[in-house]
Amino acid sequence: MKNRLRVLRAGREWSQAELAGRVGVSRQTINAIETGKYDPSLPLAFSLARVFAATIEEIFDPESPVDEESRIANA
Amino acid sequence: MTTERPDTPSSGIGWSCSDAMTPRDVENLRRFNLASLAWAMMFVAATLAIDGFGVKGLTGWALASATLLLGMTTMGLYMRFLRAADELLRKIHVEALALGFGAAIVFMLFWRLCERLGAPKLDVVDPVLVMIAFWVAGQWIGLRRYRVEASE
Repeated sequence: MKNRLRVLRAGREWSQAELAGRVGVSRQTINAIETGKYDPSLPLAFSLARVFAATIEEIFDPESPVDEESRIANA
Repeated sequence: MTTERPDTPSSGIGWSCSDAMTPRDVENLRRFNLASLAWAMMFVAATLAIDGFGVKGLTGWALASATLLLGMTTMGLYMRFLRAADELLRKIHVEALALGFGAAIVFMLFWRLCERLGAPKLDVVDPVLVMIAFWVAGQWIGLRRYRVEASE
């Protein structure tokens, strides 16, 4: 699932660690979401939407799966 | 605001404890590790006492019961760790548990056939060792798969 997490985070000049701390997960989780390796749970998606004052749909796009090549490259 | 930590891999293998775990996970895992150590030491002590020094009767049962109690405590602490864990870490651990459990079952059934073909008989603990080895390997594989790397 494609997402705009990195763009939104960069807009606020937050590091991955800082965003992770704000939503109560590890930096590894934020990195895995940003690189398309991991889709967050619904509670985490809501938490991310809350910290960016956005809707879940504004952050995540279920219609645009990360293309298979980059997924394999990331694996 | 702050950018004190660049979003790049933080170690040679692209993974470090602090990347994969929240402070709560670290604390819960520390408790689990301490309980595991106590359990292992109790098991060794009880085995030595019963096998080596021939302790029997009430003392022997007390040692066996203490080992059981420590084992159950360790199991409870692992459950607590899993329930409270960061969701990606939990996924990694659950997949590792599935790998360990599956490997032990496959190995046990395979060796049953091997025994009928003349292979040495297994000790009851041997499949457990296979389970632990694959559980640990599964964690390593999971942490590698989701290792921190530079975002696109």
